[in-house]
Amino acid sequence: MGKIEEKREWSAAIRINHWAMAAAIVVLIVTGFYIADPFTVYQGETTDKMFMGEVRFWHLLFGIFLLFLVIWRIYLAFFSRFHADWKDFLVWVNLKGLVNQVRFYLLIDKEEPERDERYLYGPTQSLTYLGLLAIIICMVVTGLILMGAGYHAGLSGFAYKVLRPVERMLGGLAMVRYIHHILTWCFVLFIPVHVYMAFWHDALLKQGTVSSMISGVLFKRVEK
Amino acid sequence: MGKVIGSDEYGRRVAKHYRKLMEHCKVNLDRIEAEYPEPFLNFKELLKERGVSRRAFLKWTSAMTAALMLPPLFRPVVARAAEAFGRLPVVWLHFAECTGCSEAFLRCSYPNVDDILLETISLEYHETLMAAAGYQAEQNLEKCMQDFAGKFICVIEGALPQGLRGQYLRLGPKGKTGIQIAKEVVSKAAAVVCIGSCSAFGNVQAARPNPTDAAGVGKVLGIKTVNIAGCPPNGVNFTGTVLHYLMFGDLPALDPLGRPIWAYGKRIHDVCERRPHYDAGEFVEEWGDAGAKKGWCLYKVGCKGPYTYGNCGKARYNDAVSWPVMAGHGCIGCYEPGFWDTMAPFEKPIDESTIGGGDRTADNIGLALTGVTAAGIAAHAVASAAVHRKKGEAPGKETVKAAQEEKHG
Repeated sequence: MGKIEEKREWSAAIRINHWAMAAAIVVLIVTGFYIADPFTVYQGETTDKMFMGEVRFWHLLFGIFLLFLVIWRIYLAFFSRFHADWKDFLVWVNLKGLVNQVRFYLLIDKEEPERDERYLYGPTQSLTYLGLLAIIICMVVTGLILMGAGYHAGLSGFAYKVLRPVERMLGGLAMVRYIHHILTWCFVLFIPVHVYMAFWHDALLKQGTVSSMISGVLFKRVEK
Repeated sequence: MGKVIGSDEYGRRVAKHYRKLMEHCKVNLDRIEAEYPEPFLNFKELLKERGVSRRAFLKWTSAMTAALMLPPLFRPVVARAAEAFGRLPVVWLHFAECTGCSEAFLRCSYPNVDDILLETISLEYHETLMAAAGYQAEQNLEKCMQDFAGKFICVIEGALPQGLRGQYLRLGPKGKTGIQIAKEVVSKAAAVVCIGSCSAFGNVQAARPNPTDAAGVGKVLGIKTVNIAGCPPNGVNFTGTVLHYLMFGDLPALDPLGRPIWAYGKRIHDVCERRPHYDAGEFVEEWGDAGAKKGWCLYKVGCKGPYTYGNCGKARYNDAVSWPVMAGHGCIGCYEPGFWDTMAPFEKPIDESTIGGGDRTADNIGLALTGVTAAGIAAHAVASAAVHRKKGEAPGKETVKAAQEEKHG
């Protein structure tokens, strides 16, 4: 029997950031789709109802959470004391490694290509997460424009002043909102694939991939 | 003790600031009264003639002062600027447009002060209104450009077609293109005010596919213009901007699209009288349903108020009687650039927009992709199980397999 070795993969900060972001994104998707295509609340007097108002409140609140979470994540990527992983987002630049990884995922190769132990992510992971980060930033920016358009004070008011030229460049609020809507689908598509790949890794490689985002530890079988 | 600035101190600070501003206004108005000719029409007499009482006029000054975001202190200055309104020479050009903006300013059942104000305006050239025609009209324009070089305000209605070197639009006895005329006049004007979405952003002429390659005046000539956007815009937004120019000798603060912030600083959605129904989640689902009768929010029947900056809800149209949302139809976003493309269809939420197919297409594609992803995941899971289990070649699995085989075998 092989000996099992522990490897601490994720810092507590990354784990908290991961789950907070996941929760925020789920809330944002659900509330966002309501705002895009709301249903009418027929029961009760107008004065007693605030359904759209509340949905928008939660959407904005979690949007602001996501803003700070993404700032935190970028900070960690450069200044984490545990492992500043900004280089890890660029593993895919080695295209040969990327192709090999895809071959492994497409079940053409049966052995997982050699992982560079310096990096947390494999090549496909690094590419996907870089894309995801870019999309989150786009969502946060378009979201701040849409929020600032209605709230002229405080953070959103300030952000809006800065982002007004971006709004103009994109072609007005209607286009900003449309882009915001389309990019939502990227999250909807990302989540099942991401969860499936985590389970797949866990099932195939038996390293405890799923629990590693909770415990922070990956297990590795060391051959005697 | 963290004392909040008391009304006294606050008042003193504000008063000091505004006193300075008021001095500036007075100096500027003195200059205008000295430099510019006497108005053709006496504004005060005209008011009397039209049956506008002094009280009504004072009410108007209060409203206009508030609209320009000035304190009540400025009412006399606004009144003085209104009297000087007729001194300002204006050249009003028409390019590719429907004259609807001029019509909107001219037609009123009972003219209010804004309309009378526009009547006193010293129109040196206005293709729809002037008596002169042909070469005589051209002479008027040239004379004005000579006499008031650097002093007159150039108001432009209509987009400029750029296709065929601008030859889609030729006007006047000399058959000049719109771009030629615009260049000539604009170079001598003190300020360029674009009235309506056509001259501001191109409007319907510039909508896809835009066969004449029309665009807004600012874009074609590469100049900064004041854009009183709208199809048609509200007369108040124009008179207010000109009053601001008379009072401060400068154009009002503009947003990145060149629209005066005092009028275009907030969205239709933010000052909408139906907004509480939006927040409550009460929407008109189709025309004439129970919600429509109760005056619920028009978001689901295509109101573009959330994407449109404007003061329609406050200023209203037709002698301030009503405006689209009040009348029961959603905002179509006519104050925004490219609204024919980005906001259409007007009676549906951004659903089948002309650009990119709209929400519905995006949602359908998204749903299809989600289905494909789910199917792909399922297929991949099955294939993985087959490939990796049959051969027993999964990395790190041999030992487990071997152990199991030993046990069973």
